[in-house]
Amino acid sequence: MVKLTVVARVTDGLPLAEGLDDGRDMPDADFYKQQAKALFKNLSRGQNQPSRMSIETGPYIFHYIIEGHVCYLTMCDRAYPKKLSFQYLEDIKNEFERVYGNQIETAARPYAFIKFDTFMQKTKKLYQDTRTQRNISKLNDELYEVHQIMTRNVQEVLGVGEKLDQVSQMSSRLTSESRVYAEKAKDLNRQALIRKWAPVAVVLGVVFLLLWVRKKFW
Amino acid sequence: MGTESPNRPNYPIRPAGTPFAAQQSTTPFLSSGPVAGSEASAFRPAHPASSQFPTPPFSAGPLVGSEAPAFRPPPSSRSNEPVRPPPSSSSYGPPTSGFQRFPTPPVPSTGQVPPPRPSFTGQPVVPPPTRPPPGPVFSQPQPPSVPMGSPPQSIKTGQPNMNTPLSADQHFFPSRPNAQPSSPPMGPSYATARGTFQPSFPGYAKSQSSSVAQAPPMQPASFPLQQGSYAPPAPPTPFLAQQGGYVPGPPISTPSGLYSGNQMQQRGIAPPLATSQALAEDFSSLSLGSVPGSFDAGLDTAALPRPLDGDVEPKSFAEMYPMNCSSRYLRLTTSAIPNSQSLASRWHLPIGAVVCPLAEAPAGEEVPIVNFATTGIIRCRRCRTYVNPYVSFTDNGRKWRCNICSLLNDVPSEYFAHLDASGRRVDLEQRPELVKGSVEFIAPAEYMVRPPMPPLYFFLIDVSISAVQSGMLEVMAQTIKSCLDSLPGYPRTQIGFITYDSTIHFYNMKPQMMVISDLDDIFVPLPDDLLVNLSESRTVVETFLDSLPSMFQENMNVESAFGPALKAAFMVMSQLGGKLLIFQNSLPSLGVGRLRLRGDDNRVYGTDKEHTLRAPEDPFYKQMAADLTKYQIAVNIYAFSDKYTDIASLGTLAKYTGGQVYYYPSFRSSIHKDKLRHELTRDLTRETAWEAVMRIRCGKGVRFTTYHGNFMLRSTDLLALPAVDCDKAYAAQLSLEETLLTTQTVYFQVALLRIRVHTAAAPVVADLGEMYRLADTGAIVSLFSRLAIEKTLSSKLEDARNAIQLRIVKALREYRNLYAVQHRLSGRMIYPESLKFLPLYGLALCKSTPLRGGYADAQLDERCAAAYTMMALPVKNLLKLLYPNLVRLDDCLLKISPQTEEFDISKRLPLTAESLDTRGLYILDDGFRFVIWFGRSISPDITRNLLGEDFATDYSKVSLSQRDNEMSRKLMRILDKYRESDPSYFQLCHLVRQGEQPREGFFLLTSLVEDQVGGANGYADWMLLLFRQFHCPDDSTDRELMLWSSENVEANNSCSSAHQMHGDFKFINFKSLEAKVRYGR
Repeated sequence: MVKLTVVARVTDGLPLAEGLDDGRDMPDADFYKQQAKALFKNLSRGQNQPSRMSIETGPYIFHYIIEGHVCYLTMCDRAYPKKLSFQYLEDIKNEFERVYGNQIETAARPYAFIKFDTFMQKTKKLYQDTRTQRNISKLNDELYEVHQIMTRNVQEVLGVGEKLDQVSQMSSRLTSESRVYAEKAKDLNRQALIRKWAPVAVVLGVVFLLLWVRKKFW
Repeated sequence: MGTESPNRPNYPIRPAGTPFAAQQSTTPFLSSGPVAGSEASAFRPAHPASSQFPTPPFSAGPLVGSEAPAFRPPPSSRSNEPVRPPPSSSSYGPPTSGFQRFPTPPVPSTGQVPPPRPSFTGQPVVPPPTRPPPGPVFSQPQPPSVPMGSPPQSIKTGQPNMNTPLSADQHFFPSRPNAQPSSPPMGPSYATARGTFQPSFPGYAKSQSSSVAQAPPMQPASFPLQQGSYAPPAPPTPFLAQQGGYVPGPPISTPSGLYSGNQMQQRGIAPPLATSQALAEDFSSLSLGSVPGSFDAGLDTAALPRPLDGDVEPKSFAEMYPMNCSSRYLRLTTSAIPNSQSLASRWHLPIGAVVCPLAEAPAGEEVPIVNFATTGIIRCRRCRTYVNPYVSFTDNGRKWRCNICSLLNDVPSEYFAHLDASGRRVDLEQRPELVKGSVEFIAPAEYMVRPPMPPLYFFLIDVSISAVQSGMLEVMAQTIKSCLDSLPGYPRTQIGFITYDSTIHFYNMKPQMMVISDLDDIFVPLPDDLLVNLSESRTVVETFLDSLPSMFQENMNVESAFGPALKAAFMVMSQLGGKLLIFQNSLPSLGVGRLRLRGDDNRVYGTDKEHTLRAPEDPFYKQMAADLTKYQIAVNIYAFSDKYTDIASLGTLAKYTGGQVYYYPSFRSSIHKDKLRHELTRDLTRETAWEAVMRIRCGKGVRFTTYHGNFMLRSTDLLALPAVDCDKAYAAQLSLEETLLTTQTVYFQVALLRIRVHTAAAPVVADLGEMYRLADTGAIVSLFSRLAIEKTLSSKLEDARNAIQLRIVKALREYRNLYAVQHRLSGRMIYPESLKFLPLYGLALCKSTPLRGGYADAQLDERCAAAYTMMALPVKNLLKLLYPNLVRLDDCLLKISPQTEEFDISKRLPLTAESLDTRGLYILDDGFRFVIWFGRSISPDITRNLLGEDFATDYSKVSLSQRDNEMSRKLMRILDKYRESDPSYFQLCHLVRQGEQPREGFFLLTSLVEDQVGGANGYADWMLLLFRQFHCPDDSTDRELMLWSSENVEANNSCSSAHQMHGDFKFINFKSLEAKVRYGR
């Protein structure tokens, strides 16, 4: 059963439309909405380009389609057939492209096509029950090679960016620390030199002093 | 400094050009802590909101406590200050700091500076004034107890910090004669006076001489301009500029008897010295007769100032800062912010602002819309101020300095533009946000808590017997049906209905009706289907509305399960938020939120329990209001009953959810149909901002402390407004946080999150006179009315009225002290030009429905409904309500001419019975209703033409409708024209014949605020009363006075100077008091 539906522009992650009473009975809806937003952010940075993907998160699973710079994302229960989810997204995509296809690039306000929610609402109802004749026949169709769609974990996906950040952070730390190391080594080197020759110099100095004193007074 | 003209306020026109040297402090802007980003993430559960419920009703939350001081008595030392330069002013003393306005250093003392003094004292030429010079002004504590009027002494006291050598006095003496005569002959001698002046101020010499050298280039231009009447353009010097105001003053020596007649409102009478600018226009005065006690004859009522031109917005301010937002959106009570707390405390009027963020803009002045798209909105990092015309760009355009907290921010690369030679951005023309004071930013996704919800209109309708019988149900259903097309938000608009009597009826638009009679444990059947999309279920909704009146035709139920129904509606709406319209016909009698009959016990009036009647009784309503706000539901209450319905409690719902109360006492569809239809239509179709929050930011050193209006405070300064529209205004009071403001300008920024931003700048001044000069009566009255109404919730009406009166008296007294020196002798009342209507509006406020009289003067429900309305009313509407338009119509009706435009419907008459001619036809328009008054001996033609043949019958049964004659058509056109000009409410037309009691008294006479009605004062009496009051020189007399007054003296004494009633007694008191004061000292 569909819990959440969002349509967003991939280029900048701007949300274009959202299902209306999504998350009505989900206590943690906000948390998943945040995750969805993070996903869009990731997408707009040019990562995770596969045009169809499923991402597991907690008891739910995100499915998304990217087409024409627009990402259609939905969140369902894990038990909900993947095939139906993608069918649902496909329906939404077709309608959205038909109605707003030419305005997508020029949209400036967030949720510019919020009016689309009525359609989502209706479509959602069609997919509510997996056992209706319509949905069963859809399940039996072999329209999509759904099982080929990659499934990953949300931590993994969202983590990619973080990990990259971590790596670059670590490497930069490495650079700076190696520089410190080099400086320290140089310093140590000098100290070693001093330690090595200082006694000799002192002894020689004393000797010369003695010699000089002797010469002077005696 | 050198280039500044001494007699002009040199506020920078573009502050961007002048770096504010003074503000280097890095302390974070006060509100930034909780503020930062909180507007964006604003939908946090309103803990603070709910926690504030136990606190008293108005202006919720932590602020409540701080409201009390709003009415606090001023420091007792107040009256001394004007004489001595306030200690604080001496700390500005040497005008060395770069930003100090030139004339300021002398100014604090100039109010009492020597020059005017000699004019009193050593006055050989002129006959001594009626009163000996050491009047109350001089009698104010002067350090050394030297005989009054000794010039050297007065100079010393006037300027203790100047150390003026005694020789200076000799320079003054020659100047005296010059000061005496009225202006024209003065020219030449004046010059000599000036000459002597200059050396005479060693204290000034250094600072001023430099400006003398540099000032001339500017002066010739500015000087004649101000001094209009003062003919000879004397060689410009700073002194001249300052003295100028003094010189054209009235012949001081003239015994007030000369003025005792009708010379009111002497405009040209300039204050002695002081602010050095536009003095001639600065204030007006009112002669109140010479001899105390005998002044009754001396007051000419015709000459009292009256706001017959309606609300006049202060212009000077807008000219000073052309980039400020329009006064439609933001009005400050005074556009000059005091620079110290001591100064602020001397200004006894409230310092604050009235904000109407969504005011309707006339065509062509729409707020420009700005889209930052991917850049993100440019805001200050620290205080979160939005970019505005007053930010300054530096570092060749790479940085900008926040005008509010003066933090240097980076300019994002997308927003970068080069600066031209004068430091302005080259792309200024394309950036409305850098030119205009009001802009609307498109909120990016980060600013949204959730995607925009569809507008939801939910109707909670009482269908008990009275609703059906009064015809309310039918009118309402028809109106809603006619509005379906124009509801905002098509095609997403959602709509839903619940009706209730002793049970609750749900409608799922299938259409099915479900009745729930268990009121204790309310639940919502079919939670998903009670709201329908209007565009999809249009026909069902229409059918439902058509059948609604007939469905309950036979209903004989008298109960009202309002509370449970409200809870059910809340459950249905909580997902989406939206607007809840409640149509209530009787007192809630069943289930939770049940209210009992109260308020018909007149014994409570006048006791300490009186105020409880005006406050909500059951905490259920406040709790519900808090929950509703949290879920972004705004409540509008429509109440119709002819019996008591406890508007005080019901209105709470509207108050805390940013809604509105509409009250139609004794609703009859035959009479009130149009009114309900118009107002409901406007409510449903006007432009509305949903789920808004509002915050007012202001510069360092000042802070908004209390807010007044219909809203819920979410944090200390964040106003939660589930729905806000153009008919709502909010007021806020300002306080100074630092003892001394070092900045030159204070900026205000109103941000309504959707996102509309209004920015305004106001100068900081060190001079009280300047504050008075830039005062805005409209805003002051608006704030006053809100404070007074809030006060009625916690104390007696009497006290609220007295508080208003006292503050007006104190303010005027302070002003008089400022300019007193000569004028007090002439027995005249002086007041600043900007505040000339303040006394009248104060009087009107005391006579307004929420505050007037006692038990019998207004129905409790009416009082409460009016109070809730006035709490949200924009300034213009409020002023019109307080001082309605009265226009004579018969002349223009009789002139049969086809051109409607010809007649002059703007000629307003004073609101007194004397304006009414028995042969005339008058209309009174207060924005909420029309009263058409037929004189007793009006030509029968007019009556017949307007009312038809049955014109002799009872007018309460006659309704005005268009008849087939030119006169009637013309009247209708006039009425339509009036209505068009003020569409917020529908003005229902009441016809009243002269002498027809009690209707005439009810509709018209109570609105004639200048007349003496019941126990309240008339305008003239009121002015005399004020005059008498502020004539008592100091607090000791004040106290004395109160002992003498007939009213009970409260513990917090100065709060009740209650001699409002009992006119004759009062005068006697004053007379003898006056005698005491005069001869006792």
